[in-house]
Amino acid sequence: MLQCVFLLSDSGEVMVEKQMTAHRVDRGICGWFWDYVLAHAAGDASKVLQVVVSPTHYLFQVYRNGVTFLACTQVEMPPLLAIEFLSRVADVLTDYLGDLNEDIIKDNFVLVYQILDEMMDNGFPLTTEPNILKEMIAPPNIVSKMLNVVTGKSSNLGNKLPDAAASFVPWRTTVVKDASNEVYVNIVEELDACVNREGALVKCEAYGKIQVNSSLPGVPELTLSFSNPTIINDVRFHPCVRFRPWESNQILSFVPPDGQFELMSYRVKKLKTTPIYVKPQLTSDSGNCRVNVMVGIKNDPGKTIDSITVQFRLPPLIASADLTANYGTVDILADQTCFWTIGQIPKDKAPSLSGNLRLEEGLTHLHTFPTFEVKFKIMGVALSGLQIDKLEVKNTPNAPYKGFRAQTQAGRYEVRS
Amino acid sequence: HDLLPDETTSLEDTVDVLFSDNSPGVVGATAVAFNSVCPNCLPLISKHFQRLCETLPDIEEWAQILLIDIILRYVIARHGLVKDSSIFASNLTLKSQGSGDSALIGNETCGTTSTITLFRHYIEEYSECLEGDIINCSSVTSSTNNDVALLLKCTSPLLWSRNSGVILAAASVHWIMAPVDQLNRVVGPILFTLRSSPDATYVMLGNILVFAKTAPQLFAPFYEDFFICTSDPYQTKALKLEILTTIATESSIPAIFEEFQDYIKEPDRRFVADTVAAIALCAQKLPSITTSCLGGLLALVFYESSISDSANFDGEAAVLVQAILSIKAIVRTDPASHEKVIVRLVHSLDKIKEPAARSLIIWIFGEYSSIGNIIPKITPAVLKYLAWSFAAEMLETKLQILNAAAKVIIHSPEEHLEEFKKIMAHVIKLATCDLSYDVRDRARFISRLLPYSTTYLNGNNSSCQSHNEDMFKELANHIFDGKMPSTFHPTNNYRIYLPGSLSQVILHAAPGYAPLPKPQSMELIHKTMEPTRGVGNSSESINSDAESGSSTYDGGSVYDSESEVDGSSDRNAADSNTKDNQEDPLVHVYDASVDQGQTARDVEDNFASLITTDLTELMSKSALETWLDEAPAEPVQVSTQASSARVSFTNRSFERKPKLHMLLDPSNSNGLSVLYAFSSEVSPVSRLLVCVDLLFENVSTNQLADITIKSEEASGSEDGLDQTLQGSASVPTIVLDKEIQLLAPEQTEKMVLQVHFHHHLLPLKLSVLCNGKRHPAKLHPDIAYFVRPLPMDLNAFLCKENQLRGMFEYARRCTFKDHLQKLEHNDDSEEHTDKNLLIAQSLASKILSNANFHLVSMDMPVTFSIEDASGLCWRFSSEILSTSNPCLITILAEGHISEPLDLTAKVNSEDTAFGLNLLNRVVAIIE
Repeated sequence: MLQCVFLLSDSGEVMVEKQMTAHRVDRGICGWFWDYVLAHAAGDASKVLQVVVSPTHYLFQVYRNGVTFLACTQVEMPPLLAIEFLSRVADVLTDYLGDLNEDIIKDNFVLVYQILDEMMDNGFPLTTEPNILKEMIAPPNIVSKMLNVVTGKSSNLGNKLPDAAASFVPWRTTVVKDASNEVYVNIVEELDACVNREGALVKCEAYGKIQVNSSLPGVPELTLSFSNPTIINDVRFHPCVRFRPWESNQILSFVPPDGQFELMSYRVKKLKTTPIYVKPQLTSDSGNCRVNVMVGIKNDPGKTIDSITVQFRLPPLIASADLTANYGTVDILADQTCFWTIGQIPKDKAPSLSGNLRLEEGLTHLHTFPTFEVKFKIMGVALSGLQIDKLEVKNTPNAPYKGFRAQTQAGRYEVRS
Repeated sequence: HDLLPDETTSLEDTVDVLFSDNSPGVVGATAVAFNSVCPNCLPLISKHFQRLCETLPDIEEWAQILLIDIILRYVIARHGLVKDSSIFASNLTLKSQGSGDSALIGNETCGTTSTITLFRHYIEEYSECLEGDIINCSSVTSSTNNDVALLLKCTSPLLWSRNSGVILAAASVHWIMAPVDQLNRVVGPILFTLRSSPDATYVMLGNILVFAKTAPQLFAPFYEDFFICTSDPYQTKALKLEILTTIATESSIPAIFEEFQDYIKEPDRRFVADTVAAIALCAQKLPSITTSCLGGLLALVFYESSISDSANFDGEAAVLVQAILSIKAIVRTDPASHEKVIVRLVHSLDKIKEPAARSLIIWIFGEYSSIGNIIPKITPAVLKYLAWSFAAEMLETKLQILNAAAKVIIHSPEEHLEEFKKIMAHVIKLATCDLSYDVRDRARFISRLLPYSTTYLNGNNSSCQSHNEDMFKELANHIFDGKMPSTFHPTNNYRIYLPGSLSQVILHAAPGYAPLPKPQSMELIHKTMEPTRGVGNSSESINSDAESGSSTYDGGSVYDSESEVDGSSDRNAADSNTKDNQEDPLVHVYDASVDQGQTARDVEDNFASLITTDLTELMSKSALETWLDEAPAEPVQVSTQASSARVSFTNRSFERKPKLHMLLDPSNSNGLSVLYAFSSEVSPVSRLLVCVDLLFENVSTNQLADITIKSEEASGSEDGLDQTLQGSASVPTIVLDKEIQLLAPEQTEKMVLQVHFHHHLLPLKLSVLCNGKRHPAKLHPDIAYFVRPLPMDLNAFLCKENQLRGMFEYARRCTFKDHLQKLEHNDDSEEHTDKNLLIAQSLASKILSNANFHLVSMDMPVTFSIEDASGLCWRFSSEILSTSNPCLITILAEGHISEPLDLTAKVNSEDTAFGLNLLNRVVAIIE
């Protein structure tokens, strides 16, 4: 199993080192890995494969927000176990620290090390449930930090075993105190779409997650049903979901962990429409290329479409670019990425981006065309059409408050020109 | 386990116990321990299989990945492969897909080859000679075997796990064990992982590619899932392209080609070149689309060549070269029907500047210059053009022009030969004056190979040159017709590793990689272990009176490990051979040996069922090393056997001198003296009773009447019996065979008392009644008489001893001095054998006088030193009265004859407490 876990910064610096087994891994492996990143991905760790073979070790890596999670082994093991574990570490740290970047990790080094210590035992994952970890290691807050600075005696380590160690369900403690008797269900969907150069919608599907924030006392039993479960193509469940009710009646039956968790992820394929359209038009003639991109609402979802952006890379061999928009702002970044921020589409005119690209000397036509990546966000609607029918809560002394919410944002939305 | 590698056996027992726990958390952790401690002890899974399957969905997700693999290996080792699984169905798939699909997989012959390939890669130690037995390896289907059905059923819910490692592990089980029609349920969850777990995409795509190459029809409807996003990393794009190529069908290829056309405009030109290569592969696979593919590729060639004119961009050159390579690959399948394509390519030579591209086109021209109707007509003009442009070409292009010209001449009709010879001579003249060594050497080579091209210049024609000309023409045909086998063709080093393994991702076997076990390799050992399972499940059967010598496993331990069984098997084989050599002399010397021989033969028949080739496959490395270590000891074994035969002769001559103990002192009982000695008789009432001989004597001057013995614990015996798990309410504490009515002065009387001792060490309170008076007495137990002799020969002893190792073996050291007194009486003796024999007899007599054992053998050392007694070995066998479990005692001596001997006493017994107590007793007897 895994011998060591490193956390590397965006410049290859070793921020955290956690040895897992008796065989110590020299941290020189991180230098080798960073040389590999520089050689194969031009220093961009996000472009490196998750499995790398070094002269002495097999390396697994997961990249998040400028932080590289690196694990080493020398023997056969399932690679997805390592990759999933590193992803889980990143999720747990994000849950504890609120965000994940180099500065936050350095500020909370001790906490990060303690969490790694609890999450793995002799190279094998041990405790990965946020509920259980938070009982053993308290999340940081201003008060505990202040006390630690002033007195130096404060400790965030719990002094007793977590209740879940004796619980039959490892994701929930046996006694949940100070519960506010509330449960919120949030549908978060991402729309993936691809429009080809002919303007045809080649692929359109929604990838959704059902996030639940549960604050219920005791051991509650929840049942969630949908109005139209047949539209779901693929599903993945949190371990708390029972398989048999879903197999029989497409009903989610579960005992939730306390706090925020992801109950289910799903996919709805073969959707027919997108809420907005992007029409790029590039014509080139005698060394000059004229660009025109129009954006508008199509198939109005009934809610405000917000945070609209269009992003694309300028093609190679462009000598200069002169782009303006009649609405929003246009920025051209250092890596030749053009970023058009629209926000909301006004009612009285259609936003359009226009301008000229001057080609390099000797080039008469543009022969490689950019792909436009679209972002947007719609609050209050799930574009897949999935609707929650009802949510029943049992084993609670009082009827809890239930809240429902939905939102859709663009996932991998590409328009080819 | 890493800290105590020598404690494997006890750790295996711990793993076995923990697998029975009710908590899913404990079972999950035990699976991790199983993988670390004894990953090959698949028989350990037998009794837990059903519970493990039912518990699997509740186990923590990380342990699920390991437990799925353990259960899969057990099912394959136990039942073999499933007849209707996809591994066999790939036969049908490949036949329906045609030869093109076989080419993709790398097997040109047929589907059977592909099936064998999968076997060889997935399964451990699969050998060629078993290819004919494929059907025998898969005698079960999921509908006829409950274990396979249960395995598939319990892993189905895991396809919905949020952990992609669990999904891939469950999919692997279905991939290997599920019927073909059930494989569809696996595809959705796998493809969903590509979207929901971005970090797992690369690993998952690598596994999907292996699945798709074997069963492309599974993924064919889901081609859209492999459409490429601009933001994908390059390696992901390459994998998706390869998968799209593999799963393309007649119905999906139009949509896929539309995607490919869009990809060609991507800025990432390296990816574009890969797309062009994919187009060629699709065209070779689906001949119906060849025409449109070629049209598109030609248009791309023209377009790319025009771009390359205006801008020197390396990426574009790569695309251009790849496009021509693709055309070449498609044309190769049927050149005659594509001659127009070739003509158009040749025409484009004017506009193509890239040397590699020009070389390719010239190669195509030379290769197919005599094919069809149109190409031969343009050959003269093209050849002139090539000769004209030769001087301005790059090196690689010059070489190709020389090759093409040679091919044209070889295949040219008679009408153009003279013209071609002129052109050839011109080109060769230019080449011999070139700056490059390669070009000059090639020119000289060709001019010598085709001498008639220079014959024209000389105008000479002699018979000698005619002979050389024929030989050179033969050589030229051989070289330029492409009939020579390619020495650069890569050998088939492509190996497929188990899905979900690290080796599958990195494409070489990582340390610790273990293929699946050989199908049904657990069959034999499972059958022989059936009685063991019965013994373990039923506590009553432990008390049965079954003959322990008739079957190895009737009295065997439920904790027998695989290694021990292997060691036992090898030991049996060796011992059987040894026994055969010694059997005749034994029979000749002693009539009593006939029964022992018969028993040995029965045991041998039972052992023979274990000694099969398949068992050796299960032998772990440590067991193999142990066996190899034992091999050098074989010669010593033979000599030891010889000694044993001689010593057995003296078995009958040993005197059993019963030791008398005082039960009742005459001074306390008005003249009645009672002595007792433990008897070697077996109680006819119950096996729980021990026979004790009582000797009554009247030492007074009066008559004693109404003498009898009663148990003081009669009222407490009920509680005692309740506490004894093995006890029976019907067994009394004591049984008296008779009462003495009258005992005259100086008269003695014998009586047999059968006693049930509840404890091994605590005395039993009795009352002796005489003349109406009650006299208390205590009967001290002797654990050495809680057993009875178990006759067996040396081979049986050694086999049984080998089964009772580890926690069933106890040893203590002590010293023996009795022989010193005996030796003083024989000082005049000069023969060393007599001294050794004397010592051996002395200790054996002492043991047998104090314990109810059977003497199996006395081994004497073969040594040149008269004084050295090291190597003396005594073996005693017995069985526990209450449980009939065997108890084996071994005593080994070290030291010199004239000094106290250092002895090591060892007891092998399943009953731990009894064994330890017996060992202490033996040591006390010796000292």
